Amino acid sequence: MGDLALNIAASGLNAQQTAMDTISENLTNANTPGYISEKVLLTVNAGGDLLGVGDGVRVVGVAQNGDGLLATNAQQSQGVLAQSTSLQQVLQGAQAVFPEPSSSGISADLSTFWQSWDAISQDPSNPAPRTAVVDLAQSLASDFQQASQQLSNLQSNAQAQVASSVSSANTMLQQVATLNGQITTTEGSGAPANALIDQRNQILNQLATTIGAVGVAQPNGTMNVDVGGVTLVQNTWSDTVTTTGGAGDMGLVAKASGVTLATSSGSVAGQLAAINQYLPAYQSQLDATANDLATTVNTQLAAGYTATGASGSGYPLFQGSGAAGLSVNSAIVGNPQLIAASSTGTLPDASNDGGNAQAMAELYNSPTGPDVKYQSLIQGLGSQVQAVNNQVQAQTSVANASQENLQSIEGVNTNDEMVQMLTYQQAYQASAKLVSTVDTMMQSLIQAS
Amino acid sequence: MTDVLGSGAISYTPSIIADQLITGINSDQAQQATLEQELSSGDVINQPSDNPAGAADLLQLNATLARTQQYAANATDGTAWLSLGNATMNQIMSALQQAQQTVLSVSGAQLANEPGALQGLATQVSSIRQALINLANTTYGGQAIFSGTGNVTQAYDQNGNYVGGGSAPTRTVAPGVQVAVGVTGGQVFGSGTTGLLGTTGVLAQIVQDLQTGTTASLNNVQNADAQALSTAITQVSDQAAEMGANYQRMQAFAQQATNSQQVLQGQISGIDSTNVAQVSTQLTEAQQSYQSALWATSQLSQDSLVQFLS
Repeated sequence: MGDLALNIAASGLNAQQTAMDTISENLTNANTPGYISEKVLLTVNAGGDLLGVGDGVRVVGVAQNGDGLLATNAQQSQGVLAQSTSLQQVLQGAQAVFPEPSSSGISADLSTFWQSWDAISQDPSNPAPRTAVVDLAQSLASDFQQASQQLSNLQSNAQAQVASSVSSANTMLQQVATLNGQITTTEGSGAPANALIDQRNQILNQLATTIGAVGVAQPNGTMNVDVGGVTLVQNTWSDTVTTTGGAGDMGLVAKASGVTLATSSGSVAGQLAAINQYLPAYQSQLDATANDLATTVNTQLAAGYTATGASGSGYPLFQGSGAAGLSVNSAIVGNPQLIAASSTGTLPDASNDGGNAQAMAELYNSPTGPDVKYQSLIQGLGSQVQAVNNQVQAQTSVANASQENLQSIEGVNTNDEMVQMLTYQQAYQASAKLVSTVDTMMQSLIQAS
Repeated sequence: MTDVLGSGAISYTPSIIADQLITGINSDQAQQATLEQELSSGDVINQPSDNPAGAADLLQLNATLARTQQYAANATDGTAWLSLGNATMNQIMSALQQAQQTVLSVSGAQLANEPGALQGLATQVSSIRQALINLANTTYGGQAIFSGTGNVTQAYDQNGNYVGGGSAPTRTVAPGVQVAVGVTGGQVFGSGTTGLLGTTGVLAQIVQDLQTGTTASLNNVQNADAQALSTAITQVSDQAAEMGANYQRMQAFAQQATNSQQVLQGQISGIDSTNVAQVSTQLTEAQQSYQSALWATSQLSQDSLVQFLS
């Protein structure tokens, strides 16, 4: 007895203390992102006694309650959500460029512009309505210019965001490689590397939401990082990602291999979709609308005559091409009498006829005119924003659910920890009691001798 | 430290519960914000993504509404022109009837030797001609209403020659429909020196015949001139009828444009107007659910085994 019993009690005290430390670690990290709850692994110490009494309890290690599959699921669903969310931000920005339906958007301005031609026809010799038409044409041109400018701002902002995301992703890839090395070294020396693994998990989560990276666990405890099927981190080696191209063809390339990274998740993927697909499409539809406005108005003017009887074909109202280039003919701005409002070139009628202006006003719903194209731009943009809104909503639920599943395994359940705490406390008290009991026994033996 | 209890059961850690509560609060708040925007703006569609097809319809309906309002404005302007035109035509008719009375009062044999009386009649007809020239130059908003599209300020010069254009201006009052807002002086009085108001026209001829004062010339007044005057009056009255008909059409189109506006506004509010009763009810529900979520959150940290261990 004696030595052995005290040794066993001491191993119990140590083991319960380690278990209490683990619980304490869990409780304090209950809200730490990326923290995986720990459990102490206890085993019976093989006995040194001939009768087969064991040699107490031994702490084998402190393991993590990790679940690789759930963690990968959660990462991927976060990545997909990040893709939709970043696309949603850009598209909502594009929608804000077109404040429709309202009384101040391009649609309302187009409407006012068309109606203003009837005012010329009511008083063709009066310069005031002609000046009003020129003013409205100028405000339309500036509407188109501004919308075009705002779309290109969105484009360049999105490109800048991709660049900064890529640069932070490169830092993180390097960190994962470094941690891989530290983890193998630490584990090779027999010590657990839980804290380092937690740290690596956190970085992997960020990589998943940034560039849609997927962590692939390796048998040696390291983690490879793949993006779009291309390995960017292997053991302690890491590659860097660079961007190529610009609006319409921007992409990501792995520097070492030169391979294009086809990523469909992560915030960068959403921004690239906006940069390459959505924003150029809106810009070209806006340009087409502006061109239709110029063509429709100028063609009708070419059929008419100015106040001095000259053919309107020499005096187009709109000049330039595309939304950004749309401008009002400075000759007409200087002399609104050059607006070909008359349907006859005969003098003196040309100065007092508004027939062509009347025909112009009726073009407000021309199937080849700007209004129809603009309406389809708004409808298309609205549908895409609506779709991405719904996508974000659905993917938020998926991401939340997979996060909950992961949390239920890896997270810290306070109630569970409390129950465990009581159990270990009681076991500790029992071991302590054993020590004092053995002590009493020894004393009684000493006194008796 | 957690375990999966049976298949599919999730063990709820405090952080899961907290995340769920936050998600709930956020979605309740977003729902509330949407409903509040609908109520405060009075519009269901505040951005294209609220209802893409509806937004495109709205743009089109608004454009059509603006066009219809312009039709109504055009018709109102046209009605004013035609109203002034009709009133002027009435004055022209009564002036011409006065001239006809004068012509009828000429009895060749009795007046042949009374140059004073003849001169008085001639002066009367001459001043009627002058009055007619003035009436023919009536303007609306600075534009001569009988000058067609040709001349802004006057239709006839002081010699009674037509100086206006070939056609009357029109107003667009419905898609593809244009109604003339007047008739040209040429259509009413004829043009050139032989026109009704011209220097060799019928009125000038009557004046000259009266001044000549011979039996033959007075016979001329009673027969050829009276005949020509009567033809001219018929011409004027035809044009007055035409103008009256255009006035009726213009008013009918104005009415039609007003009716269309109401129909369009009905359609627009059908797509875009907030159903206040419905949205208010939904908002109340959303507020209640928001408050419940807040209450649940306030309970979050209270119940745990920690409280019962002392």
